[in-house]
Amino acid sequence: MKKRGIGFASVFYGTGYGNGFPDISNAIAELGMDGKITIYVGATEVGQGAKTILSQIAAEVFSMSVEEIIFVCEDTSITPDAGTAAASRQTYNTGNAIKIAAENLREEMIDVAIERLGLNSRVGLAVKNGRIFLKTFPEKGISFEEIALLVGDQHLRRTGSFTAQTTQMDEDTGEGAPYWPYTFSVYGIEVEVDTSIGTIEVIRSVCAQDTGRTINPKLVEGQIDGGFAMGLGYAIYEDLNLQKGKIKHNRFTNYLIPTAEDMPEVEKIFIENPESTGPYGAKGIGEPVTLAVAPAILNAIYDAVGIRIKEIPVTPDKLLIALKEKEMEV
Amino acid sequence: MEIKEVFRKKNVKETLEILEHYQEQCKIIAGGTDIIIQLREGIEKSSVLVDISNIEELKVVKETEKWIEIGSGVTFTEIAREFTLHDKFSALVEAAASVGSPQIRNAATIGGNICNASPAADFIPPLLALNAVVVLERKNAIREMCLEEFIIDKEKVALKADELLTKIRFKKLQTNQGLGFSKLGFRKALAISKISTAVFLELEENNKCKGTRIATGALGRHGLRERRVEEFLQEKALDPSTVHQGGRKLQKEIEKRLYGRPSLAFKKEAVIGIFHKAVDKAFKSCKIEGGI
Repeated sequence: MKKRGIGFASVFYGTGYGNGFPDISNAIAELGMDGKITIYVGATEVGQGAKTILSQIAAEVFSMSVEEIIFVCEDTSITPDAGTAAASRQTYNTGNAIKIAAENLREEMIDVAIERLGLNSRVGLAVKNGRIFLKTFPEKGISFEEIALLVGDQHLRRTGSFTAQTTQMDEDTGEGAPYWPYTFSVYGIEVEVDTSIGTIEVIRSVCAQDTGRTINPKLVEGQIDGGFAMGLGYAIYEDLNLQKGKIKHNRFTNYLIPTAEDMPEVEKIFIENPESTGPYGAKGIGEPVTLAVAPAILNAIYDAVGIRIKEIPVTPDKLLIALKEKEMEV
Repeated sequence: MEIKEVFRKKNVKETLEILEHYQEQCKIIAGGTDIIIQLREGIEKSSVLVDISNIEELKVVKETEKWIEIGSGVTFTEIAREFTLHDKFSALVEAAASVGSPQIRNAATIGGNICNASPAADFIPPLLALNAVVVLERKNAIREMCLEEFIIDKEKVALKADELLTKIRFKKLQTNQGLGFSKLGFRKALAISKISTAVFLELEENNKCKGTRIATGALGRHGLRERRVEEFLQEKALDPSTVHQGGRKLQKEIEKRLYGRPSLAFKKEAVIGIFHKAVDKAFKSCKIEGGI
C-alpha cells in the first residue's frame, strides 16, 4: 500500500565561525589603467558562486556592469586572507570586506575627481558606468580611465577589512549568543511510502529561505536544489555502513547519493528582510538550505505511517522492519 | 595480468576461430560495463580480449512464428525500445530500463548480463520466467540449452572457452499468457537490485492458473526459479488469498535460503511486496488481448 504524508522543519543557522573566534575577511580594490576595477581576495570558489556574487557586490559599489570587474581570488601570493569557504560566511563576511575596500577606493577616486573638476564639495556627485559626475550637470565629470591616467604609476589601491561580531558562550552554562547574523529556513516536504517494500519517494517539496537580500536569484535557486539533494541523501540514501570502524560502503555503487531521477521539483520562496550589517543586506545561505531537509522528511514519514524514525538514513530495510514491528504490536 | 592482445572481428565466424586458438587465455568483451571494472581491479586475469561489439549479426532482434530471438550483442537501450510497442511484454521494457543508467544501458548487452551471471543480474529473472534458451556456437558446432541449466553458480555459466553465446530465444506470449517484473533497488537509477521477481502466467477461465514460472534475483547465488511457489499456484484460481499464500510460500523459501544472513529480516518481508507487484503486472499482461 502507498501512504502519503507531509512534514515540515525549520532551522536557524549562525553564520561564520562564532563563539568569540576571530572571523576576519580582507580584500583589495584597485583601479586599472583601463578604468576597470580589480578585486583581490583570498576567497575560494568551490562551486557555490562566490566569484559571481562577490563581483556583483563590487560592481554595485561602482554602479557598473559586473563584466567591468576583474576578480582575482584564491592565489595566496597576491590576495589577502579572506578566511575559509566554510560556515556559509563568504557572502556576508567577505562580501562586506569587498564592499568596504571598493567604497574606500571609490572615495579616493572621488577625491581625485573633485580636484580635477575644481569642485568644492562631494555633494551631488554620482558614480555610474565608469564615470564620476555632477548629477545636476552630467557633462561635468571624469571617467575612471582619466582618473587612472591622472594618478599614473602610483595606482589607486585600497584595502578593506571586515571583522564579524561574535561572542563567546558561557563555558559553564553553555548560554550566550555566539553568532551574528542568523539565517532562517523552512522546508515542507510530501513523501509517499510503499509499505510493502519500505521505499520512500519525495513527491514534492517547498523551501522558504531567508536570504536577507537575494544578490543572485539563480545562484540561490541552485544552492537550494543542491542543498536539497544533499539533505535527501542524508535522510534516506547515504549510508557509510560502518562495521568495527571500517567503512563498508566505500564506493558509489553502494554509498548511494540521489540521482536526477530521485530529485523532486523544489519550489523556492525567498524571504527578503535585509540584514542591517550585511553587504546590501545579504546573508549566507549555503548550509541553511540543507539543514531542514532531513527532519522535514522524517516528519513526513511520521505523518504517512505513524513511525518516528530516530536514525538516518531511513533506507527501505530499516523502514520496512519498523513497519512490520508496528504491525505486530497492533 | 596485462592485456597483451585485443581482437575485434566483424563476424561470428572469425571470432570463433580466435576463441578456438586462444581458449582459456581469452575473454569475450561486449559492452564492457562489468569486465572493464574487473580488469581494473585485477579480478579478471585473461591476457587476450575478444571484442564482439562490432558484430552486426549479434545485434538483431528477430521474430519467427513462435519465437522471439535476441542477439547476444543487443543492448538494454535497444531491448527497451524494441519491446515498447508490445504492451504484453512491458515487463521486458521495465527490466531492461531498470539496468544501471542510460549510459550503462547504451553499452551493456543481454549476453553480458547473462554470462557475467551476477546474483543481482536484472535481466536473468524475466528470461528464466520465459523459459529462455541460449544458443552457443563454437567453430563448426552449435548447441542450445535452457538458460536455467546454463547458469551453474554465482558468476559461473556453462560456456566453454571456445564458445560464444550468440542468441537468446523464448516463446512469444499467447493471448492468455502474461509476464510481470518487479525490482527493488534503493534508488531509482544506478541501483543494484536488492530483490527482483519475474512471473510468467498462463490463465484459463475464471483466472485459474494453468501454468506459471516464477524467477527471482538477488535472493540466492544466482537467478533462480521458485518451483515450490509455482507448484502451489498451479491449477488454483488466482484470487487475492491464493496470491497472498503464494507470497508466504516464497517467504518460506527465502528464509531457508538466506538463513543467517543479516539481510534476511528485510528481504523476507520485502519479497512479498515485490512478488505481489510482479503477479499483478503478469495478471494485467495476461488480460491484454492478442498474442505477440
